[in-house]
Amino acid sequence: MTSKRALEAAGMLAVAGALYFAPSFLERGTLNDLWSVALAVVLASSWNLLGGFAGQVSIGYSAFLGIGAYTTVLLALQGTPPVLTLPLGALLAAGFSVIIGYPTFRLRGPYFTIATIGVGEAVRVVASSLSFAGGASGLRMPAGSYDFESNFRSMTLLAVALVWIALAISRSAFGSALSAVRQDIDAAEALGVNSTRLKVTVHALSAALVGLAGGLFAINFQYVSPGSVFDFRLSLTIVLMPIVGGVGTVAGPVLGAILFGWLQLKLLSIPALLSSSLFIYGALLIAVMLFEPKGLLGLVRRLWARRLRRFYIDA
Amino acid sequence: MTGIRSNRSFALSVLSLALAFSGPAAAQEAAIRIGAVLPVTGKESKIGSAYKQATEFAVKEVNDAGGLDVGGKRMKIDLALLDDTSDASRSEQLVEQLMAQQKVHAVIGGYGSQLVQAQSVVPDRYGIPYVSGGAGATSIYGRSKWVFGVLSPVENLASTQMDFLSDLVAQGKLKKPLKIALLIENTEHGKDFQKGVKDYAKAHPEFSVVLDESFELYAPDFKPLLGRVAAAKADLFMCDAHLEDFISMQRTYTQMGLYHQMVTYGARGADEAGRKALGAATDYIFASGWWSDLLPYPQVKAFTAKWKAAAGSAPQWYHATAYETVRVLFAAIQKAGSLNPEAIRAALAGIELKDSILPGGVLKFTKTGQAVLPFVVTQNKPDGKVDIVWPKEARTGEAVAPMPKG
Amino acid sequence: MQQALDVVVNSFLAAGLYATMAYGLAVIYGVMRIINLAHAGIMMLGAYTTFTLFTHFSIDPFLSIVVVVPLFFAGGVALYRTVVRRLPRSGSTPSMESLLLLFGVWLVLQNLAYVLWSGDTQSILTSYTLKSVSLLGVRVGVPSLGVFGMSALSLLVLEFVLHRTYLGKAIRAVTQNRDAALLSGVDADRISAVAFGVGTAFAGLAGTLLSTLFAFTPDFGRSFLLKAFCIIVLGGLESVTGVAAGAFVLALLENVTAAYTAVPTSLQDALSFTLLVVTLVVLPQGLPGLSRLAHVRRRG
Repeated sequence: MTSKRALEAAGMLAVAGALYFAPSFLERGTLNDLWSVALAVVLASSWNLLGGFAGQVSIGYSAFLGIGAYTTVLLALQGTPPVLTLPLGALLAAGFSVIIGYPTFRLRGPYFTIATIGVGEAVRVVASSLSFAGGASGLRMPAGSYDFESNFRSMTLLAVALVWIALAISRSAFGSALSAVRQDIDAAEALGVNSTRLKVTVHALSAALVGLAGGLFAINFQYVSPGSVFDFRLSLTIVLMPIVGGVGTVAGPVLGAILFGWLQLKLLSIPALLSSSLFIYGALLIAVMLFEPKGLLGLVRRLWARRLRRFYIDA
Repeated sequence: MTGIRSNRSFALSVLSLALAFSGPAAAQEAAIRIGAVLPVTGKESKIGSAYKQATEFAVKEVNDAGGLDVGGKRMKIDLALLDDTSDASRSEQLVEQLMAQQKVHAVIGGYGSQLVQAQSVVPDRYGIPYVSGGAGATSIYGRSKWVFGVLSPVENLASTQMDFLSDLVAQGKLKKPLKIALLIENTEHGKDFQKGVKDYAKAHPEFSVVLDESFELYAPDFKPLLGRVAAAKADLFMCDAHLEDFISMQRTYTQMGLYHQMVTYGARGADEAGRKALGAATDYIFASGWWSDLLPYPQVKAFTAKWKAAAGSAPQWYHATAYETVRVLFAAIQKAGSLNPEAIRAALAGIELKDSILPGGVLKFTKTGQAVLPFVVTQNKPDGKVDIVWPKEARTGEAVAPMPKG
Repeated sequence: MQQALDVVVNSFLAAGLYATMAYGLAVIYGVMRIINLAHAGIMMLGAYTTFTLFTHFSIDPFLSIVVVVPLFFAGGVALYRTVVRRLPRSGSTPSMESLLLLFGVWLVLQNLAYVLWSGDTQSILTSYTLKSVSLLGVRVGVPSLGVFGMSALSLLVLEFVLHRTYLGKAIRAVTQNRDAALLSGVDADRISAVAFGVGTAFAGLAGTLLSTLFAFTPDFGRSFLLKAFCIIVLGGLESVTGVAAGAFVLALLENVTAAYTAVPTSLQDALSFTLLVVTLVVLPQGLPGLSRLAHVRRRG
C-alpha cells in the first residue's frame, strides 16, 4: 500500500516537473493546447468534488470562474499584482458559494440542479449591467499583465494539484462522508452526518479552486466579459467533461477534460468540419450516454476486465 | 487503484499531446495561408455566416484570377476559415491556434465586438497581422500595432444620424426642441451607440434624451419596455438592436400603435430580411450603415452586379465590409511584396485602397488601426424602395420628415 | 387604472405562451423524471416547420398546428423508442445521463437546422401580423391574441385528456406516485412513450406559436427554455394547472416591474431567476405546495 502511494507521489511529481520545464522544450502551439487541457482538468475535477463525490449536480459553475476572473481583472486595473488577486478571487468565489449554498442545498435532486441554473443566469445578467465591471462589454487586462510561462506553469501545476486533492479526498473520512451523502442522504443524516455543512464545505473548496483558475483565465485571455465567463454553455461543458469521462472517480474527470479541452478545439480548427461541429459534438454525447453511461473510464475498465477474463478463462 | 490509473492516463495524454502536435514544418511557401475565425453558428450566426460567404467569395475571386502577385511570384490563397460558435474564449483560442500551429501569414478577424475584443489580444503575442471586418467598438483598437479594423466607430454612426436630424431641424422639417427615447441592446455596440447619441445631445441643446434604457439580446417580450417608451412621450425614437430584436420590437411597436416623428434602429432597417419580416411597417424608418448598394460609385455597381450573379441576391452592408476586409489585406500583401509579417503590417498601416466600395471611396486606417469613413443615412420608402438621404452630396432622394402617420 | 388594466391583459397574454412552452417540459418530467434539455431545440424545429409550410405551401401558421402537433407527437414517440428508452432507469430522481443525452439531441437538432435553413434570420409575415385590436381599452396584437387562444385551447384539451381518458389517467397516476401506478399494472414503457410524444408535440406547438411573434435562427429557444424552467419550478414540476399559475405569476412579475418600478428592463431576467431560486428555497414544491401547506394546516 505504501509503496503504491509512493509510486503515485513519484508519478505526480514527475508530471509536475515535466510540465514545469515544458516551456523550454515544447513548441508554443503545444503549450497552448496543454494550457487548455489543464484548465479543463481543473474545472472538471473541481466540479467532480461536489458533483461526483457528493452527488450534487450543479449547472452554475461558470459563476465561480467568472468571479475569479473579474476579481483579477478589476484589481489588476488598480495595479494589484496577481499574487494577491488570485487568492482573493478564490476567496470571493468560495464566499459566494457559501452564500448560495446554504439556501440551495436544502433542495434535492433536480430542484437543486435547476436552482443552480437560475443562480448562474442571474449572475450573468447582473454582471452585464454592472457598469464598474464594464457591463456587457467586459474589461481588458492592463497592458503588460501577460506572462505566458508563469501562467502556463501555474495552470498546469494547479491541474496536477487538483488530481492530488481529489485523490486525497477520495481516501479520507471526509470523502467517505461525502459518498454516504451521495448514496443515501437520509441514512447519512440518521447516522449523525451534518449533510448541509458537508456539502457547503466541499462546495466552497471546489468554488475556490475554480475561482483560482478564473484568475489565471483572465490573465491568459486578457479580456473578461459576461459572455465569455458567465455563459450557460460553459457551465454545461464543466458538467459534461466529468460525466463523459466517468463521474465520481478521480481519473474520469481528467479523461473527460482531456477529450473535451483538446478534441473540441481540434475539431473546431478543421475547416472541413465547419458546418458539422455541433453534430459531431452532439452525436458523441448521445453515443457515450447510450452505450457507456459510466463514461470513458467505464469503457476502459470493461475492456480491461474482458481481456483479463479471456486471459484466464480461454487460456 | 483509480489513483494509479489517473496518473498513468494523465502522463500518457501529456506524452501523446506532445507527439501529436509538434506542429507543421515551418513552411515551403507554396501558398499564402490566411486564417479567419467567424461566428458561423451561435447567436452571431446570421451576420457571421454572411461574413463567411463574402470572405470565401473574395478569396475565390483572387484564386480564380491566378492568385496574388507577391514580389513577382504568383501565389494562391489557402484560406482556413473556422467557426468559434459565437464563444469569446473559443474565438481567442482558435486565432491562437491559427497563428501558433497553422503558421498563417495573416488572420481575418471575426464579427461582433465581444468576439473581436477577445481575438484582438492574440496578434501581439505572435507578431502576425490581423484585420477585422466586423467590430466598430473603438476600445478594441490602438492597443496593438498588429490589429486593424475596417468598420468605422459606432459612435460616428450615431453622430451621423444626429447630424442628419439636425439638418432636418435646420430645414424646418422637424420642430425643436426634440425629445429622444433611446433604447439600446446591452452590448458594446449598443453602448457605443448610446454614447454617440448622448454626447451629441449634450452639445446640442435642441435635443434631450428623456428615456435611456437597455435590453438583453433576444428579449422574449418587448411590451413592457415599449410601454415605458409610450409613457416617455418622446418626439424621436432611436434604438440600436440586432436583426431579430429589431423585427420583434418593431412588430410590437406597430401593434401598440406608437408614433414618433422619426424612428431608427441604428444600422437596421434597410436590410432585406427586415423588410421581408415587417413589410410596410419599416416604411420611413431611417438607418445608417457602413455601406449601401445605392452609393453612386462605378465600383459599387460592379460589385453589386458580381455579387448578384454569384449569390443570387442583392448584397447587404455586411457582405460589402467583409469583402473589403479581404481586399485590403490582399492589397497590403501585394504592396509588401513579401510574406514577411512586419512588411505586411507596415503595408496595412500605410495603405490607401483607392477604388474602395465603402463610403468615401478610399479605405485607409487611422493611427489606432481603425478605419474612420463617413456613414450614409438611408430611409425606407414605400414599396420596398430605399433612398440615401445623407450626406447631401450622395443623396438619391429627399428625406421624408416627420414620418406620415398611420 | 388604464395602466393596471394594461398590465393585467399583457400578463395574461404572455402567460398563455409561457404556459404552452412549459407544459412540454412538465409532462415529460412528471412521467419520466427527465429534464428535457432538447426542448429548446424542438421549439426551434417547430418554428422552422411552420415557416416551411408557410413559405412553400402558403399554409397559415395557426393552421399549420394540425400538421405540426401530430408530426411532433410521432417524432417524440420515435425519439423515445429509438433513444431515450435505452437509458438506464433511475427511479425517482432524474439521471444526469438523460440530461446530457438530450443536450446532445439539442445540438444535433441545431446542426440540422443550420444545414437545412442556414444561419439566416427567418420570420413569418402574414396579413394580420401587424394588426391589433382593442381589448378592454388595451391595444393587443392579433397574433398575440391568436397565440393566447391556441394556448388556452391546448390547455383545455390537455386537461380533458388527462382527466377523461385511460391514457391520461395513467399519465397522472405515474406522475403522482410512480411506484404505486406501476404496481397496479400501468405499462410504464407505453405511458412514457406517450408522455414523451405529448411533451414533444407541446414543444412543437410552442415553436409554431413563437414563430408568429418572433424572428428566429437555429440558435432560437435558449432564453425561453430558462423561462420554462422557472415556470415549472413555480408550478410545482408536475401539475398542469400549477404550470398555468406559474406562467401567470412570472408574466405578472415581469409586467408589474416594468410598469411600476424603475428596475431596468435588462435586469428582468435576473429577476425571474431570483424568483426561481427564492421559490425553490421557500416552497420546494412550488405554488401547489403552498395550497397543500395551507390544507395541512387547516386540517391540523
